[in-house]
Amino acid sequence: MDLALTESQEMLKTTARAFMEREAPTEVIVGLQQAESSLAPELWRKASQLGWLGILIPAEYGGSGETSSDAAVLYEELGRGPLPGPFFSSGVLGALTVMEGATEAQRRQILPAVARGERILAVAVTEPDRSWGPAGITLAPQRNNGTYTLNGTKLFVSDATSATDLVVAVRTGDGPGDVSLLHVDARARGVAARRLPGFVSWQCEVTFDGVEVPVAALLGGREQQGWTAFARALERGLPLLCAYIVGGCQAVFEKSVAHSQNRIQFGVPVGRFQRVQDHIVRLVNHLDGARWATWEALWKLDTGRPAAASVHLAKAVASEAYLEACNAAHEVHAGMGVLVEYGLAAHTQMSRTLFHYLGDPRWHKRRMADALEW
Amino acid sequence: MDFEVTYTEAQQGFRREVRAWLDASVPPDVKRIPASPEDNLRRYRQLRDLGRKLGAKGWLYPTAPAKYGGGGLDVDHAIILEEEVDRYDLSLPPYYDSGGRLGAASILVWGTEAQREAFLPPIYTGRVRTWQLLTEPGAGSDLAGVRMTTAVRDGDEYVINGQKIFVGSDNGADRIWMIACTDPNGARHENLSWFMIDANLPGVTVQPMELMGTGGEGGTDSGVKNTVFFDDVRVPAFALVGGENKGWTVASTHLELEHGGGGRIGKNRVWDRLLRYCQETKRDGVPLSQQADVRDSLADIYIKAEITRLFGLRNFWLTYARRKRSYEGPQLSYFRKTAGLWMTGAILDMVGPAALTTDTVWGSPDGFLELQQRNGIVSVHPGGTTDIQRVQMARRIGIGRTTREAAGTVH
Repeated sequence: MDLALTESQEMLKTTARAFMEREAPTEVIVGLQQAESSLAPELWRKASQLGWLGILIPAEYGGSGETSSDAAVLYEELGRGPLPGPFFSSGVLGALTVMEGATEAQRRQILPAVARGERILAVAVTEPDRSWGPAGITLAPQRNNGTYTLNGTKLFVSDATSATDLVVAVRTGDGPGDVSLLHVDARARGVAARRLPGFVSWQCEVTFDGVEVPVAALLGGREQQGWTAFARALERGLPLLCAYIVGGCQAVFEKSVAHSQNRIQFGVPVGRFQRVQDHIVRLVNHLDGARWATWEALWKLDTGRPAAASVHLAKAVASEAYLEACNAAHEVHAGMGVLVEYGLAAHTQMSRTLFHYLGDPRWHKRRMADALEW
Repeated sequence: MDFEVTYTEAQQGFRREVRAWLDASVPPDVKRIPASPEDNLRRYRQLRDLGRKLGAKGWLYPTAPAKYGGGGLDVDHAIILEEEVDRYDLSLPPYYDSGGRLGAASILVWGTEAQREAFLPPIYTGRVRTWQLLTEPGAGSDLAGVRMTTAVRDGDEYVINGQKIFVGSDNGADRIWMIACTDPNGARHENLSWFMIDANLPGVTVQPMELMGTGGEGGTDSGVKNTVFFDDVRVPAFALVGGENKGWTVASTHLELEHGGGGRIGKNRVWDRLLRYCQETKRDGVPLSQQADVRDSLADIYIKAEITRLFGLRNFWLTYARRKRSYEGPQLSYFRKTAGLWMTGAILDMVGPAALTTDTVWGSPDGFLELQQRNGIVSVHPGGTTDIQRVQMARRIGIGRTTREAAGTVH
């Protein structure tokens, strides 16, 4: 048993922390919040030079093929921002979905450019009914003469406005799992992506209006293989999203502790009041619960153990943790916390966004129960 | 990271040796819940006897130093032993002996060599069972406010008078340790002293308290407690550990451990039985475990149990890898206690009134759910209330203060 980071993980953490402090301090994060696209080109270029965009992509496809645990160290640091950008959408969920679902030729065509940051993937699964299961996939393309024609809408697609390439889950049969994945050029005629306005971070509507996709763009070359591939990618990818959330919780915790020390009311630091202390205790319990649930899931994945139940548990716990951590932080910070320039609000909005993204806590708890075969 | 202990072939050999020994040595009916006070005493004696046999092999306190009668084994061997006795739903020691576990750690850190040689071997070999005496009627959460129990130096002895409450379990003890006030006019934290004494000295009277908890000798969360009265109890000055008026310093060690600083590995004993109960019990002709609302509740309960397990595992690693600890001990204690209390409501909601009865026909097997309904509540206070744990966490995190309080020394 050893719950410490390895030496190389500590080094990655130091590098990533320094990068975030230099390139993405609070004012940068706050400045990006209103952008239609989550991608800041200069940040993206520097991250690609560090090899972060291909961290999970095997070396034979141009990435560095690190373990999930190694990648989690990076994502935890990115989450401290919370740094916007399609890091997870492209480098984790997109790349893993291609790895799991594509033919060898497709992998070689797509993944090296993803690792270099030239192609940016977004995975379009959910539809207006926001189901996270295969039954929710109703977008059915017409197939004729070697072409799929897409008409319809995908909703709550993360980072679609910065994507160059979409992986779209479509219905290709009547069976509940008859889902296929199409690789669609995001700039093709008839494709439109729009960031949803409001208290939500880069969740997008993607519409398809007579979009023609060659049959060669069917990932894996066979229909009905899509959901299995996506589910495998999800199992491996979710703990990285959880790590990003843990980083967010950690930053919110540190902000709250600092505020409890610095903010003077009634002549004393507000953290001297036990009511204020209780908020931070609640916060750190959520933070640590999310942290250790996430790391146990990562460890199971990296060591080839059955991980499904742990992954579902981690996402359920992390989703709730981020939301609750931000709530507690707002109680500690009062007016200060709602000043946009202070930076807490970016976390709060992200916590609401990621609460549902790729499955809300209740959904994951139910899948956990199924995985445990109760 | 590695969340599991990986064993060498030699260690697996040790596991086989332990398993064979336990199969031959553990009384076959040890898992029973005692049916009567007589049966409770009989079972306790069986377990004490098992404890002495374990102690003779150095397996009762496996990581304790061999020179004082402990096993002198490394943590991997200790984990194997814990895992193997866990198969019998037992821990080490196999009876209520938190006084031995916590007291021995304190003596190891703060005692003189002569005191270690005198006090530790009887504990580590299972010859004595030890209770801790801390709380008084006027000093519970404010443990440093102990005033009622006093110790006055008289030649080579101290004379102890006073009263301690919420002590021990059923069936008596051989040794007790306590903090007493040795300087009524002294400054707070500098007026207490720590004594290890014989439980059967003249002037010591033990009187059971009537509490809402039950559970007898199982594990460490016994619901049976006593009041102990001291009337001119004369103890040798040798019983004083850590020096006069240094008792609060000595207490920092066992309080840290009691607050969860040592961590824990091992499974949640209620969970497995709860799931099985829900799989075997039907409502409207359908097993509880197949009903959507019950599955949702089970998932919430399971997650609380899992987070508690992970916090325990983390603290266990922090302790044995000798890592820097901060708020993690009281965090485990706080989380475990509030989760247990919350679970009483969640289980009652899920199972219904059958959770409240020990009836052999209509209740849960051995009344294990009724026991949880009581113990989930009773367990909130021993070793520091949930509020005390939060105060500890806040000080160590540095909420509202830039100097962080350090965790207690446990090595």
